Parts: sequence; C-alpha cells; structure tokens
Amino acid sequence: MKKAKVLATLLAGVMVLSLAGCGSSAAPASTEPAAPAAAETTAAPAAETTAAEAPAADASAETINLEMWCIATESDSNRASYEKAIEEVTAAHPEINFTWEAIENQAYKTKIKAAVAADEMPDIFFTWSCAFLGDFVAADRVYCLDDAYENFKSELPEVMMGNSTYDGKHYGVPLTMNIVGLFANMEILSQVGYTEVPGSYDEFIACCDKLVEAGIIPFGCAGKETWCVTEYLESVIEKSCGADVLNDIFLGRATWNNQDVADAVDTFQGMVTKGYFDPEGIALSNDEVKANFMAGKYAFYMNGTWNCADFAADAEFGPKVQVSEFPVINADKAKLGQLIGGPSDTLAVAASSPNAEAAAQFTFELGRLICHYGYLDGCGLPAWTPFGDTSNINPLTQAVSDICAKADTYVLFGDTAMNADEANTYLSYVDQVYGCNIDGAGFISGLAADIR
Amino acid sequence: MNKKVVYSINIFLFLLPALILFVGVLIAPIAMSGYYSFFDWNGFGEKTFIGFENYKELFSSNAIGFTKALGNSLLLAALSVFIQLPLSLGLALLLGRGIKGERAFLAIFFMPVLISTVVIGQLWLKIYNPSYGILNVFLTKIGLESLTRIWLGLPETALGACFVPILWQYVGYHMLLMYAGVKGVSPELREAAKIDGATNWQVSRYIVIPSIKPIVKVSVIFAITGSLKSFDLIYVLTNGGPLHATEVPSTLMINMLFLRNRYGMGSTIAVMLIILCFAFALLINRLFKEDR
Repeated sequence: MKKAKVLATLLAGVMVLSLAGCGSSAAPASTEPAAPAAAETTAAPAAETTAAEAPAADASAETINLEMWCIATESDSNRASYEKAIEEVTAAHPEINFTWEAIENQAYKTKIKAAVAADEMPDIFFTWSCAFLGDFVAADRVYCLDDAYENFKSELPEVMMGNSTYDGKHYGVPLTMNIVGLFANMEILSQVGYTEVPGSYDEFIACCDKLVEAGIIPFGCAGKETWCVTEYLESVIEKSCGADVLNDIFLGRATWNNQDVADAVDTFQGMVTKGYFDPEGIALSNDEVKANFMAGKYAFYMNGTWNCADFAADAEFGPKVQVSEFPVINADKAKLGQLIGGPSDTLAVAASSPNAEAAAQFTFELGRLICHYGYLDGCGLPAWTPFGDTSNINPLTQAVSDICAKADTYVLFGDTAMNADEANTYLSYVDQVYGCNIDGAGFISGLAADIR
Repeated sequence: MNKKVVYSINIFLFLLPALILFVGVLIAPIAMSGYYSFFDWNGFGEKTFIGFENYKELFSSNAIGFTKALGNSLLLAALSVFIQLPLSLGLALLLGRGIKGERAFLAIFFMPVLISTVVIGQLWLKIYNPSYGILNVFLTKIGLESLTRIWLGLPETALGACFVPILWQYVGYHMLLMYAGVKGVSPELREAAKIDGATNWQVSRYIVIPSIKPIVKVSVIFAITGSLKSFDLIYVLTNGGPLHATEVPSTLMINMLFLRNRYGMGSTIAVMLIILCFAFALLINRLFKEDR
C-alpha cells in the first residue's frame, strides 16, 4: 500500500511537472526577437510551402517576419510571376523574413475563411475583391491601406482600387485584371471552313451547327466547377440583356425577376440541349476540360484570360488559338465592348498582423511586381501602370488588351460580386440550368425568391 | 484528514486530466455548436440571436436541401447494414473457418481500410472516368457500350457510384471486427455441433452468429453513424454534385460554413448530426436488447 502511495505521488509529480512544462514553453515565444532570414530567403520555393532559411549570424531585433497565403500553386498560371516578384522584392528588403504558402483555389477559400473566423490570418493574404473581401472588411479583420497607398498612387490608378474600396477606404492591392474570353482553336474551325471566329451571333451558331455535324464538340465546360459554367452563362446574359441589367442584378440594385434574363438563360440552355457542350464535361474539373481543349477536343473554350499564359506557352498549341469577345445576341440591348471581368485578384493585409504597417508597404511593392511579371507572362492585363519592356507580350494577351481597349462596360464575375451566401445560391441555380433541371423561368423565379 | 476523503481526492486528481480532455475536446465543441446554432452569424462579424429559426429553415428550405441530404445518408446507412455488413459477416465466417491462405485474405480484404480515403477517391475517379475509366472501357469491350455512363456526372448514377467505393472501403473493417468475434467462439462448441450432425451453415447460423451478436451490434452502430457522418469520399468524388444529387449532411455543413459563410446554419447541421448519431446508437442498442 505504501509503495502504491509513493508511486502515485511520483506519477502525480511527473504529471504536474509536465503540465508546467507545457505552459512555460508557449509563453515567451513572442518576447524573443524573430529569426532573420538568411541570404537564401528570396529563393523560389521548391514545394508548395516556402520557409525562410536558417537564421543569419547577425540576427537583429529589427527583422520583420511576414507570412503570405495565396493560390499560386505549381499548376497556377500565375506561379512564375509570384516567384519572380517574391525573389525581387525580398532581395530589396533583407530586413524582412518572408514566407509564403500556396493553396489550391477551392481549398483556399475554406482555409482563409476559417483563418478569418479564428482571427489567425497570415500577415498578407490573397483575396478576391468585392463581396469576398467585403465580408472580411466588415468584420474589421483587414488592415486599411490608405496610408501606404499614398506612396503608390502614381503607379496604381484609383479606378483599379474600386473593387477593394469600402466606405471610401482602400483595403486591397489589385494584381492583374482579367475578362472572360472566347478562346477558339482555329485549326478545328478551319475543318468546317472558318478562318476566323464568326463575328455575329447567327454566324456563330451556324458555325457550332457545322461543328456538331462534323462530329466536333463546340464547347468544353467543367460542370464540376460551377464558376466555369457562369463564364458561359453570364456572357450569354450580358450579350442578350446588356451589361447594365446584369450589373444591377449582381449588385442588388435590381431583382432577378427579369424576363430578358429568363430568355437569355433559355438561349444558353438551348445551346446545351443542341449538343454544343461536351456531355462528359459535367463530371470534369476545369483542369481536365482545359487539357481537353489544348488536346484539340473542343473548338471553343470560354474562360478567364489568365489562360493566355498557358496557351501561349505551349509551342504547339499556342499558334492555333485566337481569343475574341462573345458575339452580341440582341443588338437592341447589348453591344460589343460589354465584358465580364475586371480587377478581382487582390492582396490584402490582416488587421491582426503585428507588422501591419510594414506588411502594407511590402504588399504594394509585391503586388506591383506580381502584376508586372504576370502581365509579361500573359496572365492578365495590368491593374498597375506597366513599366519596362513590354514588347514581348504574347499575341493572345495583346489581343485581350485590344478587346479591353474598346471596352464599354465591365461586369464583375457574379460569384465575386455577390456575398458568399447569395453567390452560392446563384451557383446552385446555374448548376440546375446546366443540368437542364430548370429553365429560364425557373431560374429567375427561384433566384428572386431565394436571394432578394 | 479522513482517509476516505483523501482517497476521493486522489481519484479526482487522477481523473482530472482525462476529464479536462474529454470536456475540452468533445463536450465544449458540441456545446459551442449548440450555442452558435441559435445565431445568424457569418463566422467573423456580429452575431444575431434568432432562436430556433435555423432549425426551422433547415427542414423547410428547398434551397438548403437538408432533407434530401439526410435521405441520401439514410440510404447509405441502409445499404451499409443490408449489403456491407452481410458481406463482411460472410467473409468473417468463411475466413474464421480456417481456410487456406486465411491470413493473406485477411490482409487483402483489410487493405482498403489502410489506404487514405483521398487516394481511394482518386482511384475511383479514374475508374469512373467517362473517357478512359476502366468501367466504361470494360463495358465497351464486352459489347455493352449502351450501358456506359458519365457515372459521376449524371444525377441518376452519381449517388450509386459514390456508394460503391464507400461500401467497398469498409467491408474489410467490419470483417475484421467480426472475424475477431468468430475466432473467439469456442472450438468445443463447434465440434459438439458437428458431432450432432450440423452442417457448416448450421454451425454458423446457430452457434457462431448468436455468439458474436455484441460485435454485430457494434458494427451496425459504426455502419449507421459512419454513414450519417460520411464526407471524405463524397467530397473527393463529387463534392455533393451534380445538382446536389450526392449531397450528404457533412458536405452541406461544409458548404454552409465555408462557402456560404453561414456559421449558424452550419452549426445547426452539426447539432442535428450529433443528435441523429446518438439517437440511432440508442435505438440500435434497444433493438438488440429486446432481441436478446
């Protein structure tokens, strides 16, 4: 019995000591000066997560640790521009110990929201502008960039900051801007007698009919990722009803209950039922559909112009592709130059960052370079004023630039413009339209009832 | 101090770490979910108390589709109980008889349980691929091209296509549980039955199965609660699509929490899942008790 008591006391003692040990290890972490980065800190990451090298011998208390999360994974078109920009900006700031992590797009949306909810965000984070960032701003989780913006005003036009400005304050650094482009495989189109993308809607439909007759699938669309369906549907609605109608609906200034929208949805669904879309696409991801397009399975692929980089980089496929605007369906209400897109990709700074001021300055510098290299690579048009030699921009991006030069109105992507709940309700209805579960009337009445 | 009091304090002290862990890891999150379920909250802004509105909306809103998701889970639970478990039991009885290569078969059947669910998901995505997937290729090769489908893309086939790998993955798990029970049945009992002229089937039916009833009960509880909580494979294979055909409460919960920023509604689904799992566990316990 005595032995048991001694053993029990000993065990209790060990337990108490271990508990005390756990407690003490967590407490002083923040009192130690952060480890500075070594000369290698700026090197491009080998894996998805990049960490700074071992601390330099002359570590000083002035070293600032900054962490960034983004979606520039290895397969992302923007990866190279992120790597080059990070290398350059960290070389210019040896006092900053910069680490970054790239997460796949869909998973990132979950991760960043969980981090925001727990108030455990990285210092700098990638975000989409408008409603996505707006929710975080409304919760006071984002650092206001007004002061830092003063230093970059001459290079970053105020108009480009619009989508990340809330109550007159700036909360995001825009990177590139993109629109939805109609990519065409001209080699396939030539098989049915076309040397250029048909300019009018009637010609376009005639072309699609010829493709179907020839056993060629006109469009590839990833049904597994509903935002890919919206790239088609929103373009059809915009070119049927006009940009203002769509913009007003997305921004909550008008109801979905609009007969013109219902008719446009029926037009889109007609394209689906006529066999213009790859039936297998409903089970495929965007990466798979894009690969199919590049492999010559489809004649057209409507998606963001960030794809220009990948298409142009493919020596065999690049010369076959042309990008253009979706033709006008109803010339009484819509016109060429009404585009889907705008500056959406944005970097923001967490309000909880202990180095928010430095992070803000760093974010502008980084954003400027990501934009620069992204533009050179063909990942989109620059939100910042271009600098340096831009004569080697790929022809696809130049074509996008020409389209944007004639732009009349931009309507931001629906799922970016609306808040998360409404955007997902909207995507759910888009899904049903693509799956032919509901028609145009069902689409507008359902959305009018479920959203506003 | 009274010896009895000291003894009680000792017990309390030794139980305290486990109690703290239990409350912190299990009870507190459930309580917090219950608390959040009464709010309209996006996860980071201000909370608005709305009472039982989330619960009402959960069962009445077609836009959320909880009843359909719950129906899918219950269908999976039924398939688990009436297809997966009998299959597992059959294999356990067969292997428990001591056939040749018993250990090898045991390892083979258990292998899917050891493989990461994401890997299994990717594997079955390839099997179901409409262009090069082995299923469609096989059907084409044997002249049944008319049966080829976009298995995960069509609402009418997607749910079944998701259930097949889920059932397949856990057959080995339940088989191992039951196999341990079968092996625990006294050989003397079997021998006595054999001497009395019982066939292999009769030995299994009247000796082995009644002996392993407690294990069968555990398997049924695991199969049903596991079905209600099913998430990972469906997330990888279809993420609830197409057209919400494969939606289950867990995918719906993730959708509410992280895509729609509806933490209140997500918490409500979590609470409903907990209640349903407990209710089914109690019901099964009761059924097996009455049976006894």
